[in-house]
Amino acid sequence: MADYLPIFVHLTFVAALVVLLLTLHTLLGGSHPLPGKSEPYESGVWPIGSARERVPIRYYLIAMLFLLFDIEAIFMYPWAVVARTLGVFGLVEMLTFIGVLGIGFLYAWRRRALEWQ
Amino acid sequence: MLPTASDLWSIGPELWLAGLGLLVLLVDLFTAPGRKVAAGAIAVGGLLLTLIPASAMLAWDPRTAFFGSYAVDGFAVFFKILTVIATALVILAAMDSLRSRFEGEFYALLVFTALGLVLMAGSADLILLALSIEFVSLTSYVLAGFLKANPKSNEAGIKYFLFGAAASAVMFFGFSIVYGLAGSTNLYDIAVRLRTAPQPALYLSVALMLAGFGFKISMVPFHQWTPDVYEGAPTPVAAFLSVASKAAGFAALVRMLLVAIDPARVDWVLLLSILAAVTMTLGNLLALPQRNIKRMLAYSSISHAGFILIGVAAFRGDFGTPGLLIYLLGYTFTQLGAFFVAVLVGAQLRSDDIPDYAGLSRRAPVSAFLMAVFMLSLTGLPPTAVFIGKFYVLGAAIETGLLWLAVVGIINSVISLYYYVGVIRAMYVMPATSETPIPEPPALQVALGIAGLGTLIIGLYPQPIIDLAKNATLLLRL
Repeated sequence: MADYLPIFVHLTFVAALVVLLLTLHTLLGGSHPLPGKSEPYESGVWPIGSARERVPIRYYLIAMLFLLFDIEAIFMYPWAVVARTLGVFGLVEMLTFIGVLGIGFLYAWRRRALEWQ
Repeated sequence: MLPTASDLWSIGPELWLAGLGLLVLLVDLFTAPGRKVAAGAIAVGGLLLTLIPASAMLAWDPRTAFFGSYAVDGFAVFFKILTVIATALVILAAMDSLRSRFEGEFYALLVFTALGLVLMAGSADLILLALSIEFVSLTSYVLAGFLKANPKSNEAGIKYFLFGAAASAVMFFGFSIVYGLAGSTNLYDIAVRLRTAPQPALYLSVALMLAGFGFKISMVPFHQWTPDVYEGAPTPVAAFLSVASKAAGFAALVRMLLVAIDPARVDWVLLLSILAAVTMTLGNLLALPQRNIKRMLAYSSISHAGFILIGVAAFRGDFGTPGLLIYLLGYTFTQLGAFFVAVLVGAQLRSDDIPDYAGLSRRAPVSAFLMAVFMLSLTGLPPTAVFIGKFYVLGAAIETGLLWLAVVGIINSVISLYYYVGVIRAMYVMPATSETPIPEPPALQVALGIAGLGTLIIGLYPQPIIDLAKNATLLLRL
């Protein structure tokens, strides 16, 4: 248990520090609520509406598909780095991976997930 | 380091299942609506073909593949066979009753889930275990919420997802502690390296991991999702979750505890005995007032999880782990059969209430008779499959000195008789509101027949299954 002692000391310090800083801030900082202060700041451009708007559900599908095929590309980078060492085995493995994803793509296509109506 | 050809041979059934899932998906894409049953038929055929390489593996020496991360031993092979049979039966039973635009996807999802379950049972590495559990969970959430237009099904999907995500998170935290203590993700390495780990941290990690496994096997106190999900999910999915998912959860739990966690350092035997007793009793008592057959079967599946946990707790004896395997196999056939009758009645009468089973003995005599057999089997009366399982599990408890647990189990069996016989009473004694025969679709009849035969054959002539289970246990510790 002695090994854990520094962690507990650390945790206690963190908690104490947070409490101390927040208390000092409320005590010394004062509060002057003005409407301009609570507005979002976006490089001096006036906000044109709430950020919590409804978004068409179609974006969800597009975002999801984008994510899937984006991740596919990420997987190819480590493979490309060691492609020579892995040789034919690695190539076949990668082609299988792309093939499975290709079936997924075909599926999304046939199910009209790519159409925007 | 590259995987060798023998590694690939070792995962033959898994590769086949993965290919089959993709094939079913493609068939679904290119068949006209209304002919989607073809996808189901291909799935069933493919699953049956998986049994050939899987059962050939029974004769293999235990080995690990992919640098020790995947075990191919009798234990894993037993669960491969169990999962594949259960999945094929569920698809057969679903083929007639499922009228959905997304029927093909349903079969593909079931095949993929079967793949995940098989991987779960064979994982000998924390990372592979975590990945396969997540794989199974994700497809199961979709399956539970499959009836898009049905609010109850949506509720089931969301509830399962929220519970499952929380349970997985807790379990992975437990995994991370184990990794922190052992410095390895391989279960067999962990077993060696945990011998000098500090005990409080070990207890914490076991408790955290039990939360995740407990969710999968619906062990009290992680059981609350079970009745709601089973009630809302399509009935074949409820059958699948209560059998295949639970079996794989037990496989992973047993492998984890028996291989990696030394019971001399963490007293998980006592912990599991208490959990088993509580799970059995609570599941049974809550099953008593149920009127909905799916909720009743859900609570009964909780109490059966308690019984199977006895087998885990009593692993030291000769009967503990074989008892668990025999129990799971017998329970698989019986529980599937009971759910299939619920599929039939649910599809034809549009009702899941037990009072609506009145007069079933005249309206669908074969199904009613089989349902009676399943109910008696679930109670644990001879000559049925679950009786053999209970016999072994309780024997194991007595053998390892857990006499009190055996007594609790026997009392629970007696209590459970009440609600199981309630269904038989409804079918055979209560006056029917209608006498029109209920049509029994052929595929469902086949599935029901196989479940019924399995229940009776294991009950009457259990020797081959007992040998198989013993074989599977001997191979567990490489």
